Amino acid sequence: MFLIVAKVFSILLAAIAISKSYVDLRARVESLQMFIFWVFTWTMIVLVALFPAIVDFLIASSRYGQTGLGTVFGMGLVFLFFIVYRVYVKMERVEQKLTKTIQELALKDRQNESRPRS
Amino acid sequence: MIGVNQPVAVAEKIVVVLPAYNEASVIGDVLCRIPPRIHDMSVTAVVIDDGSSDNTAEIARQNGALVFRHITNLGVGAATITGLRAAQHLNADVIVTMDSDGQHDPDEIQSLVRCLIEGPFDVVIGSRILSPQGMPFTRITANLLLNAVTFVVYRKIVSDSQSGFKAFSRSALSRMKLNASGYEICSEIIGELYRNDLRYKSLPVKAVYTTYSHAKGQHFLNGVNIILGLLMRLMRRV
Repeated sequence: MFLIVAKVFSILLAAIAISKSYVDLRARVESLQMFIFWVFTWTMIVLVALFPAIVDFLIASSRYGQTGLGTVFGMGLVFLFFIVYRVYVKMERVEQKLTKTIQELALKDRQNESRPRS
Repeated sequence: MIGVNQPVAVAEKIVVVLPAYNEASVIGDVLCRIPPRIHDMSVTAVVIDDGSSDNTAEIARQNGALVFRHITNLGVGAATITGLRAAQHLNADVIVTMDSDGQHDPDEIQSLVRCLIEGPFDVVIGSRILSPQGMPFTRITANLLLNAVTFVVYRKIVSDSQSGFKAFSRSALSRMKLNASGYEICSEIIGELYRNDLRYKSLPVKAVYTTYSHAKGQHFLNGVNIILGLLMRLMRRV
């Protein structure tokens, strides 16, 4: 039962992500390359969710056949947390730059307003 | 210049900084009640309109304030910093920050300024906890909790770390490095008191709680956001 819920959940998330990406592509907010990247990534995620045996097959056919599934998912989790960290840091930097720009603009606008017109 | 080891009697100009976001219904009344002069010093009100969608800026201008406008909403911290920088541009000797929702009584600006000058202190913090009459119990509890979090992050304990009603000397302000966008600005200022070893005093002020200021003031989620923001700062330092 839980496996079915997990599969439906992953398909739902993939559908939301891909449709959002498609809307952005239509609105020319996102490039075609980026759209293809997200479709490919989410298709892979859905495939793994629907057929978890793929991971067993990949591990068995690799040089690291003895590696357990837990290790692979553990590494995946670490990788994902690293990505979340990077996104957080980047977002923070962009937010700070935006804040500074808007503050400068506010101060500059006021100075222009105070300057006597010739 | 007044402040650390400087004579304070030469202060001539006070700038009152009011960060405002959609405060059109109350800001006019708050500005009208700010005294035009205090102890022979001129008082200039500076309103930072933080991307309001109502006519806050227009009403502030009509009531004699200098208005600086953020083109989009950045948060009370960013608006306060813009206001403090504007006050520096205006060569203010004493800078007072206060809420624009009517929670602080403009008549008490005089007490803060007098305390700063006569102390002399670098910063005077208007403390609601020292005069808690009318303050809801939940607010007192939340403020004490945030005092504790501020102490953990910045190693400085004050009676009301979240007070937006403060007076600064010009030299104290020039030594502070502030960059918080949200409500955590108050705690960041406390951290700067500690980092710069500034002289400060907490002065009891009364908080005016109306239905309006209740609705506009800090909500439970804001408190959670402040704690998360402060903890993030703590982690970045580690």
